[in-house]
Amino acid sequence: MRTSPKNKLSASAVKAWRISTLLFMLFLLSIPLFLWMYHYFGAGTLSVWVILALTISLVIISGLVVLFVPEIRWRRWSYQIDEHEIDLQSGILIVTRTLVPVKRVQHVDTRQGPILRSYGLADVTISTAATTHRIPALEEETADAVRDRISKFARLAKEDV
Amino acid sequence: MSEPQRQHPVAAITKALDVIRGNLITILILLFLGGGDEDVFLLYWIVGLIVFLFIWGGISWYRFTYQVSEGELRIEQGVLIRKKLYLTSDRIQVIDISAGVVQRLFGLVAVEIKTAGSSSKAAKISALTREEADRLKDMLRRAGDESREAGADEHADQPREIYSLGQRELLIAATTSGRMGVALSVVGAAFSQIDQLVSDEQLYRFIENNIPRSTSATLVVLSIITILAVSWGLSFLSTLIAYYDFEVEIREKELLISRGLLERTQLTIPFNRIQAVQVKEELMRQPFGYASLVIESAGYGEDKGNSTTLFPLIKRNALYTFLKDVLPEYNVAIEGENRQPPSRALRRYLLRMTWWTLPVILILWSILPYGIYAWGLLIPALLLGYQQYRDAGIRSEDHTVILSARLLSKTTAIIKKYRTQAAELKENPFQSRLELKDFTVYVASGNQGRSFAVRDLDRADAAIYWEWMRQEPSGPSSDEELENGKDGAAAMPVPED
Repeated sequence: MRTSPKNKLSASAVKAWRISTLLFMLFLLSIPLFLWMYHYFGAGTLSVWVILALTISLVIISGLVVLFVPEIRWRRWSYQIDEHEIDLQSGILIVTRTLVPVKRVQHVDTRQGPILRSYGLADVTISTAATTHRIPALEEETADAVRDRISKFARLAKEDV
Repeated sequence: MSEPQRQHPVAAITKALDVIRGNLITILILLFLGGGDEDVFLLYWIVGLIVFLFIWGGISWYRFTYQVSEGELRIEQGVLIRKKLYLTSDRIQVIDISAGVVQRLFGLVAVEIKTAGSSSKAAKISALTREEADRLKDMLRRAGDESREAGADEHADQPREIYSLGQRELLIAATTSGRMGVALSVVGAAFSQIDQLVSDEQLYRFIENNIPRSTSATLVVLSIITILAVSWGLSFLSTLIAYYDFEVEIREKELLISRGLLERTQLTIPFNRIQAVQVKEELMRQPFGYASLVIESAGYGEDKGNSTTLFPLIKRNALYTFLKDVLPEYNVAIEGENRQPPSRALRRYLLRMTWWTLPVILILWSILPYGIYAWGLLIPALLLGYQQYRDAGIRSEDHTVILSARLLSKTTAIIKKYRTQAAELKENPFQSRLELKDFTVYVASGNQGRSFAVRDLDRADAAIYWEWMRQEPSGPSSDEELENGKDGAAAMPVPED
């Protein structure tokens, strides 16, 4: 088997992912916040220590996740597209290698949330009759090029299913 | 049929019944909430509701018209909101004619028309005479064929051969039915509600009177036996009804499957929509050398989880003759030079089964008297795990990959390379240590896809098949591929050591 696909994602991906992960973690931190409020204003029966321990461990875990997960994810991610196939590799703990014959592609699109936009990045989504795949966080121009490339190859190898 | 037509008036009844069926849960909840002392009031409600539904059905019958013109099926319908549905006949993939209980009472049929593609639409004409339905079908097919190819084959609709399920096979199929699991959960749920009807005391007294010297252990065993027996009975009946008078007609371009006792269902499956074939050897059938065949087809339907039973019961040794006749493309040896998971993968198979059984054991242990015997479940679980390990394998032949795996039943999937939508290799940290990988192939089936996987293959073996998948699939179009069959013009190199 050949080595990993050769193209990497944009280097800014890590920064963008850090922010989205951070937002998600802040959302998780609302759980202990509710517990605190419940403790102070409601008839809280939970021990302060339990809540404190929960908060501290959540903060530590969030910190580690925000620091390392986007980095690992970026390092794992690579992709390669030629006229016959799309080859993707991704994963944090579980490494997944995916092969999509270009003929099978039904449609490709690029999408961009507010965080990605501020870094000038976009996701490319590839759909077949059975599956959906995503190449995340590419530079806008690269994303457009990738999308057009896939759609051109797919048109060349047109098929019914 | 250039004039817009109405359905048979019976459509009003089926419409009313459809509304009831669609809102069954809401109605039941209302009935329970409305229950109590005001029974008379409730009765008024029910009668009023029924009258309303039939009036509604009547109006919707009046508003529903269909016609075929300019190669289109045009349906106009709707009571409050008018809808127009135009289906061009060359986009129509499936025309199903079926007859439910109501339709049968009046000697009518329902026609369901489905189109292909991601934006698939379905239309249902729910009551019309058989002749009318056949005429409609002919007209749509002809219009479709004309636009597709000028000189359409006149004999395209003539069955080449018919396979049917014998009475004996039907009984065997019902007896060994794999629907037990579903039935089991239904009966189990019902059984847990039984104490609302019969109080515990009554139950105990009944058992004490009939079986002297019983203990709570007897009660547990008795309950288990009852649940098993009732669910087996249910699965027997449901299989019998579903597969009664099962027939597969092989036509020029399509398969026509018809089956069912109370509700006669007809399914048309064009050959070029077939994505994969599965040979299923159910736990209870395998010892007797029986298997069933399931096909995955793309582009239509929400029915039956998008897979269709091609034949419910077939002797293993008759399988190849059947496939050769029905789907010659898929007639490959399903057993042969398999790549199997290496022996170091065995422990992963066994552990996996243990993790799955453990919660069940712990729950049973904590809630049942004598629940400690639930640990005995570990033995069949481990045996199953071992069998899963033995049955897992992957193989390729020409353009075909054959994946076999077992959950409960052994499933062998036969997939054409040019039908695969994606392939995937997966490796978690535990697998990395043992140098193992999961191999998954995705095919289209219904609106979503379906995946077939072999777990814990040797890394090198997995890589071989990965490479094999990457090699340029032969033939530019699947339709051409169908016609060429296996003439080997572009034979793929088979991975070999």
